[in-house]
Amino acid sequence: MIGLQEVSHRHDEQVRAAGGRSVPKGEPILELRGLQKNYGAVEALKPATMTFLSGEIHAIVGENGAGKSTLIKLLTGVIARSAGEIRWCGETVDLATPNEAIARGINAVHQEVVLCPHLSVAANMFLGDEMNRRGLMRKRAMTGAAQGVLDDLGFNLPANAELGSLTIGQQQLVATARAAMRGTQFLIFDEPTAYLTRQESAQLFRLIRRLQGEGVTIVYISHRLEEVFELADRVSVLRDGTHVGTRAISETNEAELITLMINRTIEQIYHKEHFESGEMIVETRGLSGPGFRDVSLSVRAGEIVGLYGLIGAGRSEFALGLYGRNPVSAGEIFWQGRKVAIGNERKAMDLGIALAPESRRDQGLCLNLPIGVNINLPVFKRLTRGLTINRAEEASNAERQIRDLKIKTPSRRVLASAMSGGNQQKIVIGRWLSHGAKLFIFDEPTVGVDVGTKAEIYRLFARLLEKGAGIILISSYLPEVYELADRLHVFRQGRLVASHDYRAASHEEVLAQAINA
Amino acid sequence: MSVETVESAGPTPKKGVSILFGLTLVGLLVVLWLLLGLATNAFWTPNNISNLLRQGAMTAILAVGQTFVIITAGIDLSVGAVVGFTSVIVAWLLAAGVPLWLAIIATLAIGVLIGAFHAFGIVRMGLPPFIITLATLTSLRGIGLLITNGSTISITNDAFTTFSRADFLGVPSLFWMVIVVAIPAYVFLHLSRFGRYLFAVGSNREAARLSGVNVNRTIYLAYILSSTCAAFVGLLLASRIGIGNATQAEGWELQAIASSVIGGTSLFGAVGSVHGPLLGAFILATINNGANLLNVNSFWQRIITGLLIIVIVYFDQLRRRGAR
Repeated sequence: MIGLQEVSHRHDEQVRAAGGRSVPKGEPILELRGLQKNYGAVEALKPATMTFLSGEIHAIVGENGAGKSTLIKLLTGVIARSAGEIRWCGETVDLATPNEAIARGINAVHQEVVLCPHLSVAANMFLGDEMNRRGLMRKRAMTGAAQGVLDDLGFNLPANAELGSLTIGQQQLVATARAAMRGTQFLIFDEPTAYLTRQESAQLFRLIRRLQGEGVTIVYISHRLEEVFELADRVSVLRDGTHVGTRAISETNEAELITLMINRTIEQIYHKEHFESGEMIVETRGLSGPGFRDVSLSVRAGEIVGLYGLIGAGRSEFALGLYGRNPVSAGEIFWQGRKVAIGNERKAMDLGIALAPESRRDQGLCLNLPIGVNINLPVFKRLTRGLTINRAEEASNAERQIRDLKIKTPSRRVLASAMSGGNQQKIVIGRWLSHGAKLFIFDEPTVGVDVGTKAEIYRLFARLLEKGAGIILISSYLPEVYELADRLHVFRQGRLVASHDYRAASHEEVLAQAINA
Repeated sequence: MSVETVESAGPTPKKGVSILFGLTLVGLLVVLWLLLGLATNAFWTPNNISNLLRQGAMTAILAVGQTFVIITAGIDLSVGAVVGFTSVIVAWLLAAGVPLWLAIIATLAIGVLIGAFHAFGIVRMGLPPFIITLATLTSLRGIGLLITNGSTISITNDAFTTFSRADFLGVPSLFWMVIVVAIPAYVFLHLSRFGRYLFAVGSNREAARLSGVNVNRTIYLAYILSSTCAAFVGLLLASRIGIGNATQAEGWELQAIASSVIGGTSLFGAVGSVHGPLLGAFILATINNGANLLNVNSFWQRIITGLLIIVIVYFDQLRRRGAR
């Protein structure tokens, strides 16, 4: 088995750049002393003193807005610190630019893959570090080397495939392999599993352990505490920009971490209230469309119907078909007992269907528009008096949602892009609360959302049910649908393959049905 | 909360920064006028000011229409050709004895049709805006040349041709036309829901669609408005030069885009206003006017315009980044 880092011909240069010395395992490789970041009066990161040990897997947990992204940006040279000191291999360093961080061997793999989708996997892995001979690229050699690395990692991906044709999870693996090839000594993972299937996560974990074995120090940021316990040696907790503590994984437990993160206990997170199920809201019979076939299910007032499956199993596609976004090719939809055709989104909205889509960035939000516009988007018609929008109503409508949902923003004029994942999700939800609906479809509502906001979202579900609405909850995170859904449907390869009542089946059983094990 | 809650003075279609940027442009315009007033006696003469307002008027109207399209993250390269083409149409109709009012309405209707065709190409055929409007840019000039057989059509209707030279309350009628376009444009873009939809479609088409915004209709609206503004300018141009000629208004689409961009419109969409392109158009007109008065070689004017676009847009970018 060849070491990953041997593939890179730049490796030697990087070791030299890093000072030419390696830090023995277990000794401090990166130390932060009073590291601090302010934006004007806002303290994004209060003076933090932390130590990362060579060769460890160090998890960082905290709610959105706790300062995790600020910390990553400081360590990768994306933003400049306000005060404090960073020591790398024992010497004080600037880390003023991303290039400096990379030259020292500090690298990050981001949740959203930042590579070129139109280039091949191999071209992406060698991007900016191509093999050349007399000014010409050695394409075949690069493809071969990249294939070697992928095979060696057991990824089963063709190196000459176009990156964009792969799933997000596979792209994530490519991004990781890329970072691994570049003589990285210190690798930061920012919520890498958010969009990954179970198998992909498992592959990623194998890769991370392997990198650790080769002496790479890993920083692992995640909302999923069970991953932290599976993977990490030590864990640091951030809360409101403050480093509240670091624990050895063997000396802590989930409950303690959650308490540190949010000052709240674990039972309060999966908030579930049972309501009498009422009238039939929607029923599909043999519904088929692009990506899903022959799906029959129903939702009653007061119940949560959970759709579980792997990414690409057809759940989101079913939701988009029901919502009129994609054409339905066969089957029937009954709305409150009456047969309906839902030809477009507007029709769905007018019936009383609301959709909080899977991807906030691609489907949910107009990121470079203000929060207020995003919240009011479906209701501008209602806010119009004569020719123009009633500005006072526009303002009060947006501000009511911001207040009710506790969206953390100084003003409704702030752009949606400036908000954290949890707050962005609240904007999408606020939009539909203000519009009103009878059936709410939440597609992966808690991806990239912190524990505190998760709990708020679950409590909101209960409030909606109480008012007589029905909910379809789509999630790839089994505990979520398992604990919340009154009826749980399992999807596999575009079909509904199994259905269970509340907590009627075991986790293992459901999982096996989803992956056909 | 951290960086997330810092008020980022972004490109909101509303108060605050966009007004501030507008004021910087007003400041630039005033400084240009003061400097030119000092540098040459001819600048602050009523004649020259009227002339300046006339020169800027047509670009300003084109730029407002163009801005609607750019806000949806599109582009309309055809507006110059539409101006030339519609000048031919109105001259042709008048020569054929069509009453003036009907000729004007028919010409504007042609503008509507051209815009609808653009939107059809984008929405139904899936063509990029750049391509479909590039195609009409060249074909409309061709159709216009076919109609006139390569020459020009003279306009003998005095009521029509004196209009562009007339003044109202001491202000050139062409400048009044800017106001006639700008006020409804402002109401449309900043006060009505359709304006919000333009921004939403330019920011994220899919999100707008899933929120119940009729994306296709919004795109139709943007391109129809742009082409109709261009047809309107075609009428004004025909009135001003007294002929219909398909080769007129060469390169005006770039003037319109430049005015819009100088006025703070982002070519990536979802950022723009009505007052921005108006100011942009008059800044460009002032530079050309001043250069003429100062006897600067007209080739230099082109270079100066190019440099100005770079400088202003660069500072606009800096301001946006700085506000983060």
